[in-house]
Amino acid sequence: MLEAASPLLEVQDLHAFYGESHVLHGVGFSVFAGEVVTLLGRNGAGKTTTLRSIMGIVGKRRGLIRYRGRDLIGLASNRIARLGMGYVPEERGIFAALSVEENLLLPPRVAPGGLSIDAIHILFPNLKERRHSPGTRLSGGEQQMLAIARILRTGAGFILLDEPTEGLAPVIIQQIGRAVRELKRTGLTLLLVEQNFHWAASIADRHYVMEDGRVVDCFSNDDLDANREKLHRYLGV
Amino acid sequence: MMSLLGISSQALFGQLLLGLINGSFYALLSLGLAVIFGMLNVINFAHGAQYMMGAFVAYLLLQFAGIGYWPALVLVPVIIGGFGIVLERTMLCRLYRLDPLYGLLLTFGIAMIIEGLFRYGYGVSGRPYPIPAALQGGYNLGFMFLPVYRAWVVVASLLLCLSTWFAIERTRLGAMLRAATENPVLVQAFGINVPLLVTATYGFGVALAGVAGLLAAPILQVNPLMGSNLIIIVFAVVVIGGMGSILGSILTGFGLGILEGLTKVFYPPASNVVIFVVMVGVLLVKPAGLFGREK
Amino acid sequence: MLRQMLCAIALVGLGSTSAQAQFRSDTLKIGVLNDRSGIYADLSGEGSVVAAQMAVEDAGGKVAGRPIQLLSADHQNKADVGANIARQWIDRDGVSMIIDVPNSGVALAVQEITREKQIIFIASGPGSSRLIGDACSPTGFLWTYNTYAMGVGTGGAMVDRGGSSWFFITADYAFGQSMQQDTSQIVVQKGGKILGSIKHPLNTADFSSFLLQAQSSGAKVIALANAGADTTNAIKQAAEFGITHGDQQLAGLLVFDTDIDALGLATAQGLILTTGFYWDFDDQTRTWSARFEKRHGAEPTMVQAGVYSAIRHYLKAVEATGTDDGPKVAAKMRELPLDDFFARHARIEANGAVSHDMYLAQVKAPGESKGRWDYLKILSTIPGTVAFQKPENSGCKLVAP
Repeated sequence: MLEAASPLLEVQDLHAFYGESHVLHGVGFSVFAGEVVTLLGRNGAGKTTTLRSIMGIVGKRRGLIRYRGRDLIGLASNRIARLGMGYVPEERGIFAALSVEENLLLPPRVAPGGLSIDAIHILFPNLKERRHSPGTRLSGGEQQMLAIARILRTGAGFILLDEPTEGLAPVIIQQIGRAVRELKRTGLTLLLVEQNFHWAASIADRHYVMEDGRVVDCFSNDDLDANREKLHRYLGV
Repeated sequence: MMSLLGISSQALFGQLLLGLINGSFYALLSLGLAVIFGMLNVINFAHGAQYMMGAFVAYLLLQFAGIGYWPALVLVPVIIGGFGIVLERTMLCRLYRLDPLYGLLLTFGIAMIIEGLFRYGYGVSGRPYPIPAALQGGYNLGFMFLPVYRAWVVVASLLLCLSTWFAIERTRLGAMLRAATENPVLVQAFGINVPLLVTATYGFGVALAGVAGLLAAPILQVNPLMGSNLIIIVFAVVVIGGMGSILGSILTGFGLGILEGLTKVFYPPASNVVIFVVMVGVLLVKPAGLFGREK
Repeated sequence: MLRQMLCAIALVGLGSTSAQAQFRSDTLKIGVLNDRSGIYADLSGEGSVVAAQMAVEDAGGKVAGRPIQLLSADHQNKADVGANIARQWIDRDGVSMIIDVPNSGVALAVQEITREKQIIFIASGPGSSRLIGDACSPTGFLWTYNTYAMGVGTGGAMVDRGGSSWFFITADYAFGQSMQQDTSQIVVQKGGKILGSIKHPLNTADFSSFLLQAQSSGAKVIALANAGADTTNAIKQAAEFGITHGDQQLAGLLVFDTDIDALGLATAQGLILTTGFYWDFDDQTRTWSARFEKRHGAEPTMVQAGVYSAIRHYLKAVEATGTDDGPKVAAKMRELPLDDFFARHARIEANGAVSHDMYLAQVKAPGESKGRWDYLKILSTIPGTVAFQKPENSGCKLVAP
């Protein structure tokens, strides 16, 4: 009950910059423990930058990012990761010079309770078969699975997932969706950036809509149907 | 007796072996450069000076503390590596966001300063460093007299090269290094302290140069200029092998040592240019180097 | 037409200046040009500058009523760099004399310029006998040693001691070539045989390959026609490869005290060499060397002692003629008697050779040495008349053969 009262992640008046360009203009939202929350919006709305700001890998940021009561502004990204924040980047970030297995084992464990290798192999059987091939020899879908799997192993309690379904075949998207729901069931909290609104609707609890570097709207998944019209306008579908 | 172009096969074996010995130094030094370049994207021009410092630290340890070759084998890399770490933390780390040229200029300047200081303190004739008692003497191989110390140099260098290769290609730490070479931002976002990794890598690369200096001390005069004479060749080796390629720099180092040895038989005056001729050829045909990945 | 007029004006100008001013500048400027940071910096370098300062001070700091000013520069062992400095010194700074210039390649370039500009050039650092042979100059002097004298000394002595067959490891530049050529000549004259030679690039670190080839030639004497760090590395590695333990002997054709100091006696002991000067030869040399050592922190090499001797003699000639005019001073230098702690029984020849006693020496064993710089046993004195080639045989055009 206490958890519900104070959010696990709270973002207020977040500004972020790439060099001279001001990308986020006061983003604010919050994520509660155990929730799956999506950031929706058109390309360039600032969704990925928001995730990168939370992770501490944009050039410059200011405002408030509070996670488990700690302010993340000013922390180096490795320190943020050690607080239990897992990051699955949009470009997946599979290392070509590392085998699948090395990729999987690369991120250090940051908290107890991460998935074992066996559990991961059950969740994503392809990774077991191909564990000795170079990371980038995998198909796009397998790479996405690997990117998610390696974060699950670390025990991170809060996962930032950037466009997990981008460019993937429907059957793979389904598989990833199953995995995400499975994770949610185990109590993980997810912040998701997604273009595929229908897929997002099938797994998320709440949605924030971003436009021009600001959060402009928010509604729960249950109210989705009622807001469908508005949402289509936001997303330009 | 067999002969090739007027050179007896005996002489040829001898020169091949000598080439291998020189190649050991090229391999060790270019390996250090490759490790540093791969991780930091810095062309470490101070490498020759650090090699020279390795020899001098060994000399000074012996001269003023009575510390001999074997303990120096541990102390020299620690001291020189420590020096590298200070250098990286205080100066080099400020330049990563800039063009790699700045790192090159900085390390070049540092090399000049170090060399100048040692030249001021010790002159240019160099100081003697004896071969350790256990490695004196030699083997008569029939085709040549192989000093024990030279054999040790080859063995030590091979061991160091192979263990470095193993550590980078086959261990978890090595996986972190390789990953950080590709995408340092993401690796850090996984909770790995990349700046620390970078510092340690530089320290390690520099320590390798220090060890090479120590290995060279009993063979060459310990001389403030010994590094600058060698470093240009080593850069050529790195370029031929492919910038940042670990295995490439090892193989190229040994290979070019042998090639140079052969040149010393067939046309000695060309022995200091043959590597550069190969470099030009390789750059024309395969700009990324023999073992380099095209970007 | 115009050109002729200009020439006429220039000639008038020249005539008037030389008539009025006996000196190129208000002060007499001497330029010490040598290697300040490379492989020859220890045997000449700063030590030569210190020797020059001592010479100027001992002369009272003035000559013909003018203060003497010393300039010094690093030629980096590059002929073009050395030539540019020499030109600037002469044309812009009004330097009257250039001294030292180790590295025969650079010295030959400076000789060309000073010959053309009629400026005194006294070479102490380089040894190529070409400087007093085909490249000689009326205003050029080779003060300290030359490759011919070294060849006579070491080459002759080694053949006398049974070194009947020779193999040369030669630095691939002017000095090395002269050294090999002059020594070969002596060796052959004395009935020895030359079995072969190898040219190596200047600044070679690893000599094992060359040594191995020399070893397999079977020659009784392996001669090192190189200098500085090249020589020390070669000697050190020869010991490592056990070459000197067999019946083969090493001959360092140009070995300086600083080289022996760098090698250590354990490695260098027994080496036979020729030198133009040894600090511990007699009271005269010891007195001067003690003064030098106090200021420089090392005993003088023959090159450094030669610089002192040469400047003193040069200043005497300037004083006597009352001008710094190159040809006049050069003539006076040949005329004035020369005999000091450095140059014994000396004679300045028409080809610029300063013939003086040379010494055949052997490097002491560690047990024989009383301390740092106590390195040489003088075996014999080679009179200048023996050590130096007769000017008429030198190939110098200034001397009718």
